[in-house]
This record gives sequence, C-alpha cells and structure tokens, in this order.
Amino acid sequence: MATQTERLPHEPTNMQIVRKTAQAFSLDVFLMAYVILVTHKIIYEKIILGLRYPDFSWNQPMTALGIGFLVAVALFFTKLSIGKAVFGLYEEDPEKTVLKQPYTLLGYVILILTIIAGIFISQISIREFLSESGLNGARRIFTALFHPNLDIFEPALFAAIETIYMAFIATIAALPIAFILGFFAARNLMADSRFFFSIYVLIRFCLNMTRSIEPLVWAIIFSVWVGIGPFAGMLALSLHSVSSLAKLYSEQIENISDGPIEAIKATGAHPIQVVWYGVVPQIILPYLSFTIYRWDINVRMATVIGLVGGGGIGTMLMQYQGLAKWNEVGLLVLVIAAIVWVMDYSSSKIREAIK
Amino acid sequence: MLEIKDLQKVYPNGTHALKGVSFNVTKGEFLVIIGLSGSGKSTLLRCVNRLHEPTSGSIVFEGEETTNKKGKELRSLRARIGMIFQHFNLIPRATVMTNVLSGTLSRTGIFASIMGNYSAEDKEKAKKYIGIVGLTGKENARADNLSGGQQQRVAIARALMQNPKVLLADEPVASLDPATSHSVMKYLKKVNEELGVTVICNLHFLSLVRQYAGRVVALKDGKLIYEGSPLEINEEWFQTIYGEDAVEVTIN
Repeated sequence: MATQTERLPHEPTNMQIVRKTAQAFSLDVFLMAYVILVTHKIIYEKIILGLRYPDFSWNQPMTALGIGFLVAVALFFTKLSIGKAVFGLYEEDPEKTVLKQPYTLLGYVILILTIIAGIFISQISIREFLSESGLNGARRIFTALFHPNLDIFEPALFAAIETIYMAFIATIAALPIAFILGFFAARNLMADSRFFFSIYVLIRFCLNMTRSIEPLVWAIIFSVWVGIGPFAGMLALSLHSVSSLAKLYSEQIENISDGPIEAIKATGAHPIQVVWYGVVPQIILPYLSFTIYRWDINVRMATVIGLVGGGGIGTMLMQYQGLAKWNEVGLLVLVIAAIVWVMDYSSSKIREAIK
Repeated sequence: MLEIKDLQKVYPNGTHALKGVSFNVTKGEFLVIIGLSGSGKSTLLRCVNRLHEPTSGSIVFEGEETTNKKGKELRSLRARIGMIFQHFNLIPRATVMTNVLSGTLSRTGIFASIMGNYSAEDKEKAKKYIGIVGLTGKENARADNLSGGQQQRVAIARALMQNPKVLLADEPVASLDPATSHSVMKYLKKVNEELGVTVICNLHFLSLVRQYAGRVVALKDGKLIYEGSPLEINEEWFQTIYGEDAVEVTIN
C-alpha cells in the first residue's frame, strides 16, 4: 500500500518537462513585455513627459516583446522567473515560504505597476470629483430624487408589473430549451463517443458565445427585429437565460454521483429509465433553485433592458431621465428598488425552503 | 449456473484489473470473494452484469454466453441479476416504496414507469419484500432519511423485486458499523436460504466470511489464488492473500 501512495504524484516524463519549460518561458516573455510596455507608455510618456494622448504604433508592443524575450532569457537562469514558479520547475525551498521568494517580489512589482497604470488610464481626478459646479449639479439631482413625484405612481406600478411578467415569461420560455441543452452540454454524458463529444463542443461554444454578449446588446438587436417594447426585452432575456441556465444545469449534471445510475442500470432498466430514475432525482431541486434565482436576475435585468427600449419600467425611466424630470425619476428608482428587494427576499426564501 | 472462464479486464487507463480469472458458481450457494482493495473484486462483479465490459474471456450464465449481449438482451440479463452496493446507491429524495419498485423497471413500460404507474401485483410484492427485510411501516419514508443499515436493506428489497437468480453484493457492509453489518449479512443469508437466491458477495472481514460464506474464492492482483471452504483459510493462506504484514481484525 505504502509504495502505491508514494507513486501517486507521478514522476513527470521528459516530454512533460519540455512542455512545461516552454509554457513557463512564454509566460515570462509575456510578463516582461508587459512590464516594459507599461513602463514606457504610462510611467515614461504619461507621467514623466506629461503627454495627454501619446502616439501609438504597433512597433512599440513588438519592440517590447523583443526586449521582453531577452530579459526573460536572462531571468530564466535566476530565481526571478515567475513562469518557472507557476509551472513548478523550481526546487521547493522548505526554509522560505512562497511569499518571500525572489520571484514573488517581482510579482509585487508587476502588481504595483498595474495599479499605477490603472489609476492613470481611469483618469481619476480628485479635483473634478470635488469641483463646485459638479457638486451643485449632484445636489440638485439628489434633492429631486428624494422628493419623488407620487402623481405617476399608478403608471409606474403598471410598468413595474409589465417588467415582472416579462421576466417571468422570459424565464419560462428559456426553461425547456435550457433543460434539453443542459444534457447535451454535460461532459460526463457526452464523452462516450466522438460524435456526441463534437455535439458537446459545438453546444458549449454556442452557449458561451450567446452568454458573453450582454442582454443589453441582445435587446438592441431584438428591438430592431420585433420593434421596441416588452417583446424585444423578453426575447433578449430569454436568450441569455437559455445560455446561463443550460450552463448551470450541465454543471449540475456533471456533479451527480454515479452510484444511483449504476444501480438503476443494474436492474436492467432502459436508458431513458436510467435518466429518469438515476439522473433526474439528483438534479431536480438544484434545477428549481437555479430557475427561481434566474427569474430574480431577469427582473433586475429587465429594468436595465427597458433603458434601450425593452419596455416596462426601464423604458419609463429612460424617458423621464431624458427630460431631466428628476422627481419622477426618483419615484421610479424607489419602485425598482422595492421590486428588486421583494424578488431578492422571496427568491432566497423559496430556495432555502426547497433545499 | 455461472461459469467464468479466463476473464480479463484492462481499463482504458491501462490498469490490468483481472488477469485470467476462472471459476464456477453453483445454484443456491453463498459465495464470498475476498482480497485486498484493488485486487479486482468489484471489477469481477461488475463484469458479471456488464456494468463494466470484460476485455476478453467468457461468462456463461444459465447456459447463455453473456459477454456478447447488447440492448434488450443485455437488459434482460441484468434484470435476472440483482446487485447491491457499498454506498447503497438508492434514488435520492425518493420514498422506500419508489426505491423498491425501481427494481421492476425492466418489466415496466418506459412511459408507465415515468408516470409512476406500477402494476398492483408489483406493489403487493414490494410490500412483501419490504416486510421480509424488516422495514414494514417505512414504505412512505424518504429512503435517504433512514440509517445506513436500513438503506442497505431497502437496496436488498429493490434487488429482490427483480426476481433475481443471482444477487451480487459489492462490499455490502463496508460502510456500516459492526452491529449493523451482522444484521445486513443475516438478511443476505435469509435471502439465500429461504428464497433460494444464489449470492456472490465481496467482503473484507474474515470473521464475517467464516460466519456466512458457504465457499470462498480469493483474488490477488487480478488472479484467483484460493478456492475452497472458509474454514480452511489458515494463517499461512491469510498471509498469502493479504500480504506478510497483515494482521487479522475481527468484527463481532
């Protein structure tokens, strides 16, 4: 037994060491090129020379990459190579913790450099934050927001109901599609044959694509397609829900235990019965919980989507904000806050109850 | 009734789990397979009902070669072989009744089983077997709320619903405490003696082997190294099977 456990962290082969070294070196080259480029563009051009809009040409990153390559070669023979540390090519030193190693110090330098660069790129300015005209404008809006115009309470309420229903239908419409896609996007069910695995890869790719495009953008696309209104918003939310839910569902399927599946198979059950009795009971409650949570998210998103013509309370908010009617905006913000709070509270209560 | 000949199993990762195992099982016996963890006991059982595919060799069950069966034939083979597991593997969040009825899936239609429409006869039978394993009154309790020993008894009832000719038991008591282990083993013995079901059981504890086994086979590194009566396993055999440093632990 003892010899077995000792062998577990298997000895790397030569091939693996070569690959790891190559990966470590690429990481070093990239990091060094980054350091050189950021130092030149931000520290030198922006801070020392004080240029507001420095010139950019593709020669600069290329040069940085070249110099970075040379520096990385030099670093590779010292204790400063982050790449070697990340890929575990250094001998472990029991005397020193990871935090005190030379390469970690280099890591701190890169982190500080990034923070400085970030501050300059975000154009952070205390002067503008505290300027008199700016403060006056903010005070005017805040005063109005805290005196909401109750006259539009009724239309605001109707718009809010529209938003909630839109989010609900978006979730319901996404549910069956995501349910089916979830099975096809689960690695453990699809890895058996090459054919199914390529379907898995394709579906995963499509899901990632649709999910990485914000619902806000989908709403703009659909408002051109089906016209401005709740339907466009619902389609946008629905599409995004399909991809998010399918991903959550498939991860749940990947996490189920094989035991019950094996047991149901052993009774001589048909594959469909195996899924129904071995897989479904393990996923049904997490699915419900994800779906309710998704409805909650959709209500929140629906208010934002209204801003680009997705209907509901968001569209109303955009109209009043465009007219600079801040008292009305104040009321709408209050109504939105109330909906979000109620949805958040009830969805967490329901999810707790069905655990 | 079960003839295993030169059974080999190589896993995709290269592990050679079974290296030519051959033995016969006669009808109505209580056969126990012993051996260290990793000696191939679980693989052997799973090859019998084809949860794992044997790489080569032959398994003849009731006069039929099983290793080439597919689809419907494979399912009907599995239906005649019951199986219970170390971790019980019950359907989570389902009642005892549902779990026991899931043993009839092979003869219930797909649509009927999804709707939960089991025949009245099967329901009667489920009640009877729940009684046999001593769980009367627990029919509508959630199976995952029961104790470990009770869950294993639900698993036995589920396997009995298949009307099995053979019951495979993969370390049925390995996750139970000593007292519960004996109770589960007694129910297996009862199934074997009163219902005439052949039992093939993987076990770790030699004390349980001596008490319950009718015959013993021992595996080591995927090979069969001992076949005989449980009482003939002396100190010498014990050290061959379990290694020089092994010390026997008893469970009473």
